Amino acid sequence: MDINLMIDITPLLVKAAWVTIDISARALFFGFFIASALVAMRTSRIPPVRWLARAYISVVRGTPYFVQLLLVFYGGPAIGLRLDPFTCGVVVGAFNIGAYMSEAIRGAIESVDSGQHEASRSLGFGRFATLQHIVLPQAAGLMIRSIGVLAIILVKNSSLVSIISVVELTYQAQRLIGSTYKPLEVFSVSALMYIVIIYAVMGIVEFLYRRATRYTYL
Amino acid sequence: MEFDFSPVITYFPTLIKGIGATLLIGLVVAIMSIIGGQIVAVITLYTKKTVNWPLRFFIWLFMTTPLLLQLYFLYFGMGQWILIPAIVVGVLGLGFHYMAYNADIFIATIKSVSSGQYEASRSLGFGHLATLFYIIIPQAFYRAIPQLGNNMIIMVKDISVLSAIGIAELVYLSQYAISVTFRPFEFYITIAVIYYLINVLMETGQAWVERRAAIRR
Repeated sequence: MDINLMIDITPLLVKAAWVTIDISARALFFGFFIASALVAMRTSRIPPVRWLARAYISVVRGTPYFVQLLLVFYGGPAIGLRLDPFTCGVVVGAFNIGAYMSEAIRGAIESVDSGQHEASRSLGFGRFATLQHIVLPQAAGLMIRSIGVLAIILVKNSSLVSIISVVELTYQAQRLIGSTYKPLEVFSVSALMYIVIIYAVMGIVEFLYRRATRYTYL
Repeated sequence: MEFDFSPVITYFPTLIKGIGATLLIGLVVAIMSIIGGQIVAVITLYTKKTVNWPLRFFIWLFMTTPLLLQLYFLYFGMGQWILIPAIVVGVLGLGFHYMAYNADIFIATIKSVSSGQYEASRSLGFGHLATLFYIIIPQAFYRAIPQLGNNMIIMVKDISVLSAIGIAELVYLSQYAISVTFRPFEFYITIAVIYYLINVLMETGQAWVERRAAIRR
């Protein structure tokens, strides 16, 4: 193990790690809105809207993220969709994770006893007020945990963006392996960065989970 | 923008070859990761922590780093010390990755088998190993089947990543066809459809296996 080399490449990899964090955080942010829209569509009263959401979720979950990325980046220009690599990573990541997240959110909402919903409605709360004040606070704990799992998957999936030449952690690591011929050192440092990111996500999720379940007694 | 799917039809034999390669890799990796995961799980659970820490470390490492980084390390990294063909690296990399995930599942399901089963079996005269093989592991395996199925479905989708280290599976062969025909959109759409069909088939298979397993559990 060449410790000096490991110290030398750390700044480069830290910079690349920020790109990984940036791309994942943006994808998670936009993915959350896409997921919320999908959940709303799936509970819609109009059947075609429900079918559309179900078809979308099924297709996105049934095809590899890698192929989706290639399709949008290389195939996109054919339908007039020109995105730079970073934006493409964020957009595809958001639409991909949105489909998975909508299932997580729906699962969390359905885990709340239906009696809660009925009781709330019969006490005069409207549909939206019921969701906001009764159902969501109880679903929040489970929802945060499952979104946390998806966030970790998102961070690991962001390594695939290196294929469309976004200079993030995996891309930088591959380049450094090629230029230094020291695979073990480069792998150790870059793996450590992924581990740090993932543990940071886990810590944040745990913090939010504890906040969200402060008043719930299970 | 007009679409022309005729190159896809011309290159369909190539894609068929790719589907075959993908399915073959999937089968090998599935067998390897399930059997390997079972072995790893049994070793980590039934040996001393001071002995099995390397195993637990590798499970942890494979689960906390992305597949692509592991593949790059194995492919570009191992090439320095020993020369192994890309296909072996790919299958081993994917196999170890999912071995870690499967081992994690098996550890949980083996723990979930009631300890009364172990005690009853021992008091009936089975030895330690016989109890594991005839009583504990079969029960744990049936419990693991739903999650194993999910993992294997994710794994088949991850085979597409192997194209990054130049393994001639579906995505790689279509990239070759694209480089000749300049029709990325049509080819990638076709591949997405093929993957979707494989996925639907696997989900149907998973449901069937789960129904069968539920009878025998």
